[in-house]
Amino acid sequence: MSSSTVPEVPTGSVDQARRRPNSERFKRFAIRYGFLIVMATLFLFFGWWNPVFWRPANLFSILLGATVYGILALGVTFPLVIDGLDLSIGSVAALSVMISAYVMVVLDASGTVAILVCLMLGAGIGAINGFLIVRVKIPDLLATLGMMFLVQGVQLIPSGGRSIGRGAVLAGGVVAPGRFRDYFLFLGQGRLFGIVPTAVAIMLIVAILVFVILSLTRWGRVFYAIGSNSQAARLVGAKVNTYRMMAYILSGTIAALGGIVLAARVGRGDVSSGGTLLLDAIGSALIGFAVLGVRRPNPFGTIVGAIFISMLLNGLSMMNMPYYVQDFVKGVVLVAALAFTFGLSKTKG
Amino acid sequence: MTAVKEQDVSDAKILFEVRDIGKSFGVTRALDGVSVEFKPGELLAMVGANGAGKSTLIKIICGYHAEYEGQILVEGKEVQFHTPKAAYDNGIATVHQIINEGVVPSMTVYENLTLAKLLNPGLPLFYKKEALRIEAREVAATMGLEIDLDTPVDQLPQSERQMIAIARALAIKPRLLILDEPTSSLSDKESERLFAMLDRLKQLGVSILYVSHRLHEIGRIADRVIVIRDGKLAKTLQRPFQVKDMVTAMVGEIPKHSFLADRERGIDDTNTQVELRDVVVAEGAPPVNLKVRKGEILGLTGLIGAGKTELAQVLFGITQAMSGEIRMAGKVIHPRNMSEAIRAGIFYVPEDRAENAVVPLFNIRQNMTLPFLRVFDRLGIMDVNSEIKRCREMIGAMGIKCEGPEAEMDSLSGGNQQKVVVARWLLEKYNLVILDEPFQGVDIRSRHDIGEYLRTSIGDKSAIIIATDLDELIEVADRIVVMNNGAIIGEQEYEDIDRDKLLQLVAQEKEIQEREESAV
Repeated sequence: MSSSTVPEVPTGSVDQARRRPNSERFKRFAIRYGFLIVMATLFLFFGWWNPVFWRPANLFSILLGATVYGILALGVTFPLVIDGLDLSIGSVAALSVMISAYVMVVLDASGTVAILVCLMLGAGIGAINGFLIVRVKIPDLLATLGMMFLVQGVQLIPSGGRSIGRGAVLAGGVVAPGRFRDYFLFLGQGRLFGIVPTAVAIMLIVAILVFVILSLTRWGRVFYAIGSNSQAARLVGAKVNTYRMMAYILSGTIAALGGIVLAARVGRGDVSSGGTLLLDAIGSALIGFAVLGVRRPNPFGTIVGAIFISMLLNGLSMMNMPYYVQDFVKGVVLVAALAFTFGLSKTKG
Repeated sequence: MTAVKEQDVSDAKILFEVRDIGKSFGVTRALDGVSVEFKPGELLAMVGANGAGKSTLIKIICGYHAEYEGQILVEGKEVQFHTPKAAYDNGIATVHQIINEGVVPSMTVYENLTLAKLLNPGLPLFYKKEALRIEAREVAATMGLEIDLDTPVDQLPQSERQMIAIARALAIKPRLLILDEPTSSLSDKESERLFAMLDRLKQLGVSILYVSHRLHEIGRIADRVIVIRDGKLAKTLQRPFQVKDMVTAMVGEIPKHSFLADRERGIDDTNTQVELRDVVVAEGAPPVNLKVRKGEILGLTGLIGAGKTELAQVLFGITQAMSGEIRMAGKVIHPRNMSEAIRAGIFYVPEDRAENAVVPLFNIRQNMTLPFLRVFDRLGIMDVNSEIKRCREMIGAMGIKCEGPEAEMDSLSGGNQQKVVVARWLLEKYNLVILDEPFQGVDIRSRHDIGEYLRTSIGDKSAIIIATDLDELIEVADRIVVMNNGAIIGEQEYEDIDRDKLLQLVAQEKEIQEREESAV
């Protein structure tokens, strides 16, 4: 009954079988390296358009531009890995800017104290986030959104809503006694060995630390397991709630570090410094999904994503694109990168 | 009556037919030249080992795989099934093995039952909830569902979700209904209800493709059985079916497994490994007394809700006993959480591997080493090489069919995935390992592999295997204990296992209650 069709079917299937591995291989290659190829192409294009783009000074300024939200993005990678999200990172960084200024300028304390206070505040806010999510069981988006508003308000309180710079006049008409310490400013403005901007070095150190924790240690393994199937992680004895708590504490602490770098760069406590940090950071981490096509949060992708955004903005401004197209372009890149990775790999099965 | 019906079946026009269906994944030939006819009013059962190609065939028929070789014919005309909708529009409804793909957990029962209606473009924007509710009640009644319609589905046990998933599939009034392992999470009583419903559907002329590992069940309800083996149609069987024939066609001649001989060995009658004394699992539950000997594999059976899983959860520290004493090798222990249980050498392989065990993001190695990452920790950094080495050993020892330790979980068949999540708990020395429904949706070969590995590696430790399916337990257990309504009501040593007596114990729930009530 079926023997009559036998001669035809196999030849057809052999042809298909020959063709398929090739297209399959190409697709896999595109998913893996597509994003990096686009990035390299843009890099060449911008330089071809204006060779100034390729100058070391400009390349460093691209890296420098990525540092603050790059650090934040590395921090938010932890909540993303456990399938959560932290929307409070931008305002935590902004708080860190105001508090470091307040501690040094108004209280006339040392830069070290300022740094410690900021990091502890960041960790504390992360712990509250974690508590709200793990114990009170508020969904992560809502808890951290609430915390974002809360912290935005809190940062204005110490200075009565004013920015804090050297010689700022305080509420009682008194001139603030302190100033930003030089070694503090070095974190944002200095260069190691006269070449590498300190801020860039800080970002790279954070990136390496996050990479080591997430990719090489057993804690990282558990973080990823929780994100993929928290019930399974719980049933192998993992302390899921402790890990989730840790993810938000790390995210808050690293966000505070980002704020310290920002304060050191600007050299004053600017009330509007939070700006677009949150969206740039989360954008970087999400673009990171597409780098190497891994479809999950990963520190290497995050850092590449942050540098990509900075490079794009730098290149576009060299082409005299008006500043207001920047957000639009960022959005397009993010959507395209995600569509590319998820869209292509979806058809796998 | 039956004779007339059979006449009808053979004479009826063939509604669906697949011809020379083939499918490859990379270099793997999953299906090769499979032709099947589906007759109206016929229950066609499909059996085969895991990885034989059953799921692939189903996925092609229900339009999940856009690319395939061969033809699908509906009423003699060829159709292309490149999307699930195409199959759906041709009257093919599928209930997949993974129940939660068939229901929307966050919605209530009645919303689930009327979901197809809700998505109907003809429905006005502001629809009458009451009308849908009435309809849902009717569907529930025909299915014999006794559930509060306003309960969110995620608060229901698996068995009831399964019935809802089937009810949903029926809502489109299918001409071909595909059921993939529909009874794997149902109790015998619930299964009976399902069978009665399938009978009714057959009378209405619906074709049914029924996939199951439960061969006894198939022997009872099927009109015709096809056996898939290594991607090919190995055999078509007609009534009356012999389970032996099906098994032989599925896996070839099963080697006479050495279980019988091994059972004689091993067990140390004088030494108790685990002892439960008057353990009360929950408020109002009867006290449980149980001894597990060193070297023993204890089978624990009973209906869903008999208290088997609850008992395991107490041992593994997920929940706390209200009172009573647990002794491990003579010493009293009371695991307050899972870490403490693990430290005491009590390991637990939970039921429902997709939900409770498999980490889909991780490959085989990462899944396997998950409970014992500490073992591979070298000053904080994971030693991947020794992970791979250990994982290779387990793959070999348990006969896991895969490309290697770094292969993804979704490249494995269900049985082999199960081996991985069992293997993860056998990496380290245990005192007591509990396997909760380890054979759900697992083929005979894998079942043997798991059972055999457990037996050869158990030494002087102990294992408890929880299973609703008696035949699975008879295959591997040294002793079978029956739970009923939270209490242990009977046990049999392997030498004097009496299947019928056990079944009677399992099922006598009602009678006991009634007797007790009348006594009061």
